[in-house]
Amino acid sequence: MRAVAVSSEMVTPYGRGTAACWDNIFDGRTAISPVNRFDTGAFQSGYAGTVKGLKYHQGDSLVMQMLSLLFDNPGVIPVDAGLIVATTKGEIDLLEEEVLSGRKGMPGNGQAAFLEKVRLLAGVSSAGTIISAACSSAAVAIARAAAMIRSGRSECVLVVACDSVTEFVFSGFSSLMALEKFAAMPFDKNRSGLSLGEAAAFVLLMSEYRARKENREVLGEILGWGVADDANHMTGPSRLSEGLILAIGKALSSAGVSESDVGFISAHGTGTVYNDSMEIRAFNAVFRDKRPVYSIKGGIGHTMAAAGLVELIIVMKALREGKVPPTVNLREPDSDAVGWVSRFSRPLQGNTVALMTNAGFGGINSALMLA
Amino acid sequence: MISLCGMGWINKEEYICALKGETVSFKESSSFDGLSRRGIFSCPFKNFGRLDEVSKLVCYAVALALKDAGESYAGDLKKDMGLVGTNADGPLQSDIDYFRDYIESGRKLSRGNLFLYTLPSSPFGEAAIHFGLQGPVFYMSSGQALLPGVLKTASEMLMLGETRSVLAGMNTKDEALYMVLAKDPAAQQQVLCDIPEALTVVEKGGSLREMAEEFSKTKKGKGIK
Repeated sequence: MRAVAVSSEMVTPYGRGTAACWDNIFDGRTAISPVNRFDTGAFQSGYAGTVKGLKYHQGDSLVMQMLSLLFDNPGVIPVDAGLIVATTKGEIDLLEEEVLSGRKGMPGNGQAAFLEKVRLLAGVSSAGTIISAACSSAAVAIARAAAMIRSGRSECVLVVACDSVTEFVFSGFSSLMALEKFAAMPFDKNRSGLSLGEAAAFVLLMSEYRARKENREVLGEILGWGVADDANHMTGPSRLSEGLILAIGKALSSAGVSESDVGFISAHGTGTVYNDSMEIRAFNAVFRDKRPVYSIKGGIGHTMAAAGLVELIIVMKALREGKVPPTVNLREPDSDAVGWVSRFSRPLQGNTVALMTNAGFGGINSALMLA
Repeated sequence: MISLCGMGWINKEEYICALKGETVSFKESSSFDGLSRRGIFSCPFKNFGRLDEVSKLVCYAVALALKDAGESYAGDLKKDMGLVGTNADGPLQSDIDYFRDYIESGRKLSRGNLFLYTLPSSPFGEAAIHFGLQGPVFYMSSGQALLPGVLKTASEMLMLGETRSVLAGMNTKDEALYMVLAKDPAAQQQVLCDIPEALTVVEKGGSLREMAEEFSKTKKGKGIK
C-alpha cells in the first residue's frame, strides 16, 4: 500500500502556517533572535528560534500551546486515525516548574498524560504512541507511520511532532558546546554551531486507496525510508558518515529508486562543523553527481524532534512548486559544500524525487525518499 | 516467518537466558554496578560506570539476549541489527537529576554528561556503540509500557526488510527484558518461538520476570536441549 500525505500544518518561529515558513525561507529571512524567555548569560549563545506569543511557566506547556494552534479545522483528521507523536522532551517545562518550586512530588507518567492531551486535541480515538530518536524523531515517526500503511496494519495515521526552547534544553546544548553564538549558518565555511528552535507540526498519512475513497488532495508520497545507527559515538557523528550512507542506501532500496532519480536533498544541516561535513561526505559517497542541497535551520533553528516533520512539509511543497529552497544564513559555502548548497533558490528539473536526511545524538541517522 | 532467537532478562538478584536455559543468581549484589564484572559482557565495556541506570539495565539485558541467541559482538564488529525499546517513564529520573544539578549550581553550570541521558533514546545509543548495532535504533512508548507494541513494530520492520534482525524489549526501574528477533533464521539456528506465540506471552501481562519464565517454559515445551 502506498502511503500518501493528505493534510499538514505547522507553527514555527516564522509564525503559524506552512506559507509563513515557505515565504520567509525564500525571502532569506532568519527568525533566530535573542531569547527573552530565560536568562542566557551563562550559556554559549543568547539566540534561538522561538514562537511569538507563547507563555512560559504560566499554565499550559509550550508544546501544548503550539499544538493548540494546529488543530482548529474539524473534519480534517478522521477519528479512526492512528496517532504517533515525535518528541524528545515533550512537556519538560512542567517538570522545570516542579523542580524550581521545590515540590517533592514529581509528575509521574508524564508521557501518558501528554499523549492523552494530544489525542484529545487531535480528536482521534487511538491511544497513540510516542517515538523518540533524538533529532531523527520525526523522520522515524513518519517512517513508522508509512510502514504501518505499507504493511496493511493501518490505513490512516496522524504524525505529530513538537519540541520547545526551554531553559532545560538550552542549558543542555550549551553544556555540549554545540551552540552558534548568533544565528546558525548551515554549510558555511565560518559556521561553528547550531541554533535551537521550537516548532509543532502534523502530517496526516493515508493509504492511497483511502485517500482516493475520501477524495483527499494528495500533497506528496512517502516512497521509502532508511534508519541506521553509526554505532560510534553518542554526540559526534561518524567521521566516515557510515550510518547516514547506510540509511540513504536503505531509503533508495525501500523506494525502489536509484541515486540518479534524486532531484534535491533537504539536509539536516544544523550548522555544526561535524554534522554538516558528515552529510556532505555521505552525499559524495552516494551520489555520482552533485545536486541541490539545502537546510532551513538557519531560518528557524534546530527544532529537534519537530525538525524532520517541518522539513518534510517544506520538501513536499518544493516538489509541488518545482523549486528548491535556498539555505538561509549561508554566506560562503565551506569548500566541501561548493556545488551542493546555495544562498539562492533553484528550479527543479523535471519529475523528480527528494531525499530528506536527519541525524541525532546516539548516532541515529534517517533518510526519507519523498515524491 | 519472524522468530524469537534469544531472550535475556535481569534484575538485581538474577538473570535468565531463556534458550540456553540459564538462570544465574547473584543475590549478594545490591546494585547493578558490580555485574559488569561478572561475565555478562563478552568484551570490556568502556566507561560503563558513567552510564545512567536505565542505560546499564538495557545494556545488561541486550548482552544476555545476544548471548542467548549465540550472536557475538564487539564495538568494531558492526552488524545490521536494530534496537527498539520501551519503558513507562522515559528518562524521568535523568531529567530530575540533570535539572536539579543545574539549579544547585546557581543555574550557571550544566553538565553535558547528565544532559545526554535525558533523551529517551540515549540508552539505545549506548547499546548500539558497545554492541556494534547499525540497524534502526529508537524509543517508543504509549505512556504505559508497550511491549506488545514494540514486538509488533519490530516484526513489521523485519517483514519490510528494514534490517536483518532486531533487539526488542522493555525495562522497569528494577528489571529489563530484551529479545532477539530475526526473519527466516537459518535452518540450524535454534528459536524459542514465533511472533504470535511471543505476543501471547507478553500480552498476558505480569512482570518481566514472569514473561521470562514463560519464555523459558516455551523452550522446554519444544524439547530444545
